[in-house]
Amino acid sequence: MWHNNSSGSAPDRSRRAFVLLLPLAAIGGMFATIATAAFRFLRPAVAASSEKWIDVASVAELSGNKPVLRKVVAEKVAGWARSLAEHSVYILPGKNNQVLSAVCPHEGCEVSWRDDENVFSCPCHDSNFAADGSRIYGPARRGLDPLPSRITDGKLQVQYLSFVNNTQERTPRG
Amino acid sequence: MSAAEKIDFGDLKLARPKPLADASDGGATGWRCWVWTTTAVVLMLLFVQLTTGLLLAFYYVPSADHAHTTVSFIEKALPSGSWIRALHHHGSQWLVLFLFLHLVELFWRGAYRTKVTRWVGAVVLLALVMAAGATGYSLPWDVRAFFSTRVAEGIVNGLPLVGTSARAWLLGSNEISTLTISRFFALHVFVTPLLILLVVGWQLFVRSSTRPYATAEHDCENRGRSTVKKTWRSSVLNQATRNVLTATVVFVLLALFAHKFPAPLGPSAANAAADYLPRPGAQFVWLYQTLKYVPGALGSLVGVVLPGLVLLTLVGLPWLDKTPLKLIMNHPRRNTGAVILSLSLIFIATMTLVSYVSDRRDPRTRKQLARQAAEETAFRREPFVPALLKEDAGATSPAALASPSPGISATSPPAAYTKFCATCHGAHGEGARQGPLKFPPLLGVAEKPHRSVDDIIGILNDPTAYRLEPPMKSFATKLTDDEKREIANWIVTLKKTQ
Repeated sequence: MWHNNSSGSAPDRSRRAFVLLLPLAAIGGMFATIATAAFRFLRPAVAASSEKWIDVASVAELSGNKPVLRKVVAEKVAGWARSLAEHSVYILPGKNNQVLSAVCPHEGCEVSWRDDENVFSCPCHDSNFAADGSRIYGPARRGLDPLPSRITDGKLQVQYLSFVNNTQERTPRG
Repeated sequence: MSAAEKIDFGDLKLARPKPLADASDGGATGWRCWVWTTTAVVLMLLFVQLTTGLLLAFYYVPSADHAHTTVSFIEKALPSGSWIRALHHHGSQWLVLFLFLHLVELFWRGAYRTKVTRWVGAVVLLALVMAAGATGYSLPWDVRAFFSTRVAEGIVNGLPLVGTSARAWLLGSNEISTLTISRFFALHVFVTPLLILLVVGWQLFVRSSTRPYATAEHDCENRGRSTVKKTWRSSVLNQATRNVLTATVVFVLLALFAHKFPAPLGPSAANAAADYLPRPGAQFVWLYQTLKYVPGALGSLVGVVLPGLVLLTLVGLPWLDKTPLKLIMNHPRRNTGAVILSLSLIFIATMTLVSYVSDRRDPRTRKQLARQAAEETAFRREPFVPALLKEDAGATSPAALASPSPGISATSPPAAYTKFCATCHGAHGEGARQGPLKFPPLLGVAEKPHRSVDDIIGILNDPTAYRLEPPMKSFATKLTDDEKREIANWIVTLKKTQ
């Protein structure tokens, strides 16, 4: 064993110390190789909503001042699986066809438009939002989230995104 | 220096003729110390198998509809995924090879005599590693895996007496199904590794604490100190260093090999064509070729009993000298072992060679195998397509919310209910999901205690009095008393479906 060989001369000892490092380095190298691959392999995937543009409505049918409820089916990819989920969005024809996500920015329930009171109201904790999506009262800390939208060939299209709950600033998830 | 004088027999009190001692455990010359590093290589390969297997388990899903998708995802989409899978695939075959070499080396050292536990452990380990390879081959659930499962099914099915039930137990059902994958997965990922770890742990810890090093090994350990000529090289080159160096060299070779040759992966088992020619993993090619010569039920016997007998004889080798064999030969253990090992080696090598050669010779086979290889290459080039995961469609589909299933309620809900309650409890009291929250259905609540009409009005006024938690809120001021009673009267009519 190594410690028994203490009688060697000084250069001998340093040479031995150096050669002792060789097997250690070899073991370390093997571990490092596998660890690097493992790190790359296990690094968390980002579950991203696909950045597809989804048709919501044709511009011609949008008129008036009341929010229009539409359902969009958005695809989400997480690793090896993709899933389709239906989401509600509100189109604001009175505000240049802006599209709002119907997800309440408080805890993620779905707000509904109350025609008689002229507000968006969340069934879960009573957050209320004005017809333009801005917050009126309730535990939500920001207004309803606008979604990126565009008009192509007379069709209103939207990219479905979800945002982090319960914050003042609007941070897209993923 | 005479090794024979220093040999420690441990608890095995066996007299040993000197020439034999010299041939097996005798003076440790340099190259022999290097040969003895097979243990280290086997341990390194086992470690690689465990680590890569563990990594693969982070993504693999053992089911007929997701197994192939997840393996394709590992192979095509994940960084380092192909390399890790190739390490696992080729590593399992290298492990069999090095375990066999280790066994030969142990035999050559006379371990069946001096180190019985190590000898038996190595044979058991070889059997376990073969079993792990056989079960693992089915897991990717590509065409190749499917047909290899079919071959295993056929072999087991042909066993006399127990065939039918053994087949059902192996498959988990009366035919190959998703249950088969779960079963092979459990065997491959839990049962065999656990047994392998037990055997290795026993070898490494229990054995070494009760039994001293054999002298020859000790010689390799201390070459630097005890040999006459003390050189710089000999003083640093002890057996631990040799072990590490050999293991590293094999690791580097395996890593490069896995980088150059990815593990095979073909199209999903769902695309299996009837004319597919199955080929087993390299460690089973000899058995596969043998079965071609033995027809029907006899093939099953040969496929299971022959390897079983060989392994059993090897395991029993240390005890063979107590048998009447002693009457016919001088060294029954040495002779039997040598015959079995060399015959196995010759047989396995010949059969493997014959299999590869005949595959190349026969034009039809060659063409079919080439076509299958081309299919695999084509599949490998296709980009990975994520599988569609079915979400709980009832919660989001508008049809489920809009139309009541028959029998939920005889009457339509009151207007106040539709306005204030339906978003959460469903248009007809069936419950709903809102983002992360699931709201309870109201169907059949009248059958529960404290849910009379008056109780329901009480809940609408003050849910906390009934220990209901938010988000259920008070409607005391939002609804008129008449509306509350109307809603409550309607809710108690709701019956559970089925």
